Amino acid sequence: MGVQLLLEKAKVEGIRKYEVYRREGGYRSVEKALKTMSPETIVDEVKKSGLRGRGGAGFPTGMKWSFIAKPEGVSRHLVCNADESEPGTFKDRFLMEFIPHLLIEGLIVSSFALGSNTTYIYIRGEYAWVAEILEFAIAEAKANGFLGKNILGTGFDCEIYVHRGAGAYICGEETALIESLEGKRGNPRIKPPFPAIQGAWMRPTVVNNVETLAAIVPIINLGGDEYAKIGIGKSTGTKLMSACGNIKKPGVYEIDMTISVEEFIFSDEYCGGIANGKRLKACIPGGSSVPILPANLLLKTAKGDTRYMNYESLSDGGFATGSMMGSGGFIVLDEDQCVVKNTYTFARFYRHESCGQCSPCREGTGWMEKLLLRLENGQGKISDIDLLWDIQRKIEGNTICPLGDAAAWPVAAAIRHFRDEFEWHVTHAEEAVKMNYGLAHYADPIHVPA
Amino acid sequence: MSEQPLFKVTIDNITIEVPAGTTILNAARKIGGDVAPPAMCYYSKLQGSGGKCRTCLVEVSKGSEKDPRPMPKLVASCRTTVMDGMEVKNITSPKVLDARAGIVEFLLLNHPLDCPICDQAGECHLQDLSYEHGKEGTRYEFQRRTFKKHDLGPYIQLHMTRCILCYRCVFTADQLTQKREHGILDRGDHSEIATLIEKSLENDFIGNVIDVCPVGALTDKTFRFKNRVWFLKPMDAHRDCPTCSGKVTLWNRGDEVFRVTARKDEWGEVESLEDGKTAWICNTCRFEKKKTSDWVIEGPRNISRHSVISQGHYQGKIGTHMPTETFEAVNGGREPKIWLDIHSISEVNQPSIDLSLIEGPAHSNDFNSRKD
Repeated sequence: MGVQLLLEKAKVEGIRKYEVYRREGGYRSVEKALKTMSPETIVDEVKKSGLRGRGGAGFPTGMKWSFIAKPEGVSRHLVCNADESEPGTFKDRFLMEFIPHLLIEGLIVSSFALGSNTTYIYIRGEYAWVAEILEFAIAEAKANGFLGKNILGTGFDCEIYVHRGAGAYICGEETALIESLEGKRGNPRIKPPFPAIQGAWMRPTVVNNVETLAAIVPIINLGGDEYAKIGIGKSTGTKLMSACGNIKKPGVYEIDMTISVEEFIFSDEYCGGIANGKRLKACIPGGSSVPILPANLLLKTAKGDTRYMNYESLSDGGFATGSMMGSGGFIVLDEDQCVVKNTYTFARFYRHESCGQCSPCREGTGWMEKLLLRLENGQGKISDIDLLWDIQRKIEGNTICPLGDAAAWPVAAAIRHFRDEFEWHVTHAEEAVKMNYGLAHYADPIHVPA
Repeated sequence: MSEQPLFKVTIDNITIEVPAGTTILNAARKIGGDVAPPAMCYYSKLQGSGGKCRTCLVEVSKGSEKDPRPMPKLVASCRTTVMDGMEVKNITSPKVLDARAGIVEFLLLNHPLDCPICDQAGECHLQDLSYEHGKEGTRYEFQRRTFKKHDLGPYIQLHMTRCILCYRCVFTADQLTQKREHGILDRGDHSEIATLIEKSLENDFIGNVIDVCPVGALTDKTFRFKNRVWFLKPMDAHRDCPTCSGKVTLWNRGDEVFRVTARKDEWGEVESLEDGKTAWICNTCRFEKKKTSDWVIEGPRNISRHSVISQGHYQGKIGTHMPTETFEAVNGGREPKIWLDIHSISEVNQPSIDLSLIEGPAHSNDFNSRKD
């Protein structure tokens, strides 16, 4: 097992309770940060740590924090984005459910660094029980003097509120989240102005993912330089991966970003290999929005190097032969899975979740869904595949928020790498509704079951 | 207040100086003509509008004098402010034209294209846009979304099937009236403009949502199916109205007033008054004063020469007159290509079959027998 910074204590009995968490060394970082550090030094430490946003885009957190505007007399806000709705991603839920105080601890330190006296956790509405766990944890922290007025006698006031979403994927986009938090319809705002200048209630706001904020705790405890030594290159620290699909051991794993994709899928320590003795066909390494990769490109890059589980290696080769780290929703497909059906499922999701504000996404996602359903049912035409390609090209980059891109990428990658499977759905229409295409030239060459 | 600095911006190789804070779209509108990107959702008189339809996307090939990097994506010109030394490509960029053709296709996907029975035809922005940037056919082979017609009060009908969700009416209802009862329900391609539980909209200024609607989704019930806009003569008129400015455009046929609208400028937006306010008109002026005697007529309204409304009407800015040229004069001795070669599109009219040699009326057998 590699280094564990976040989930190290998650298995400790009763860690949800404040007493146990405190006994295990919790809230040390709050004491250290509030008593010995200034907000600027915390931001510097985070910058030094090289921590990148864990929500999907991978933007350096320290940089994001340094952008926040500091006008006189205007309060600032920190918002924790716990609206984790990406198909395949469930790492934040695991973290909040089993070790809620870690997030609260990270939030207090980050609030101090950003000068936010009112901090919000925007949690997905479906995570109703998790919201209760968090509220309980906040109440415990408050009872023990880590929240509320004059924390630890340092004069810093901080309140954390849990805000439940109403079930929209789009509210995970930071400006839509802010709109929703303000009580409005969750439509993404047009940027600029960025939230760091005008966010919630027109005040400077920082929106960070749950895992990012939890990672602040080890950064403060270890120090930024020490944290940066874990991992490789620009992918520092540890990353939570939520592995699912046709693997023996689905679940949330903490990796230190130096292991290879092959090790992650096939070692018993992590996913444990493909279930039921099947072979690996494809994998979506970072949640439903990132491009799918066939087995041959997943384990090795196009240049023939081993692919590792980190930001750079997974995106090696761009979108032509690479993918993205995304939010860490690692979805593995075995030889029995149909890529067309999988793409259709994602397209249906994005059609349902599009906010309907800007036209390419509103109309294009619905169109792609209908075309993919037709292909999946064996009623498609060869020209539909080119049409799909054209539609995704027209959506990508032309929308207000990244949802349009997220809807376009899976379709583009599926056609790019699995075009023969799409064509097979047209040419062998009757077979396509009864059975799956199976493996083709993209077969996993290494792991043939005995 | 200090003088605002002037920024130099180059749009399609035309340089213009505009005050800081101007959007690319408004700078392009100052140049005018084809350089101005089309806008379906942006409305300069409405706060917060724009950015949604994406038809006004432009390419920024040079960010500014200080930071000459180009912007990575196409940007919505209605919501992007100019920087000093910025270089923008609109119709000179193939990328923009390609993206815009895509947007038009998307906008028309669920649009019923029922222009022949639509009251907006002739003054419809979507119609203009699709003529300019659209393709002749559609690649969409599925059922379009449809909605029932709704009455928003006694004067306005909402036909959501035609709506392109530009949000203009939502902003209008929000900003012109005190109470907000009008918004968007649902999301994605099933979202719809609605009032909460089919409430009627009752407000003195709510009729303006008809004027801002770029398509025929919101129509004037006192005018529905009464006439086509290009048969009517637009006349500027005013009356002493206690609630609004009373400056309107009357749409007459003979002496009969068919409809009353606010005065619109060349971008299809309601004009500004001398004092800088927008000349929104009240419901009384719009729906109830339908007699010529109610109004003081100022004279014919200038309508763009290119608009179908100006056909056979009064003099426009340039003036319309009967063409005096003959085809010979226009061709100037050249023999132009045939515009449409009928043989290329119809198998019946084969040049190899000389119809004059067939006795009596031509029959399908005449064509069949020659084949074998």
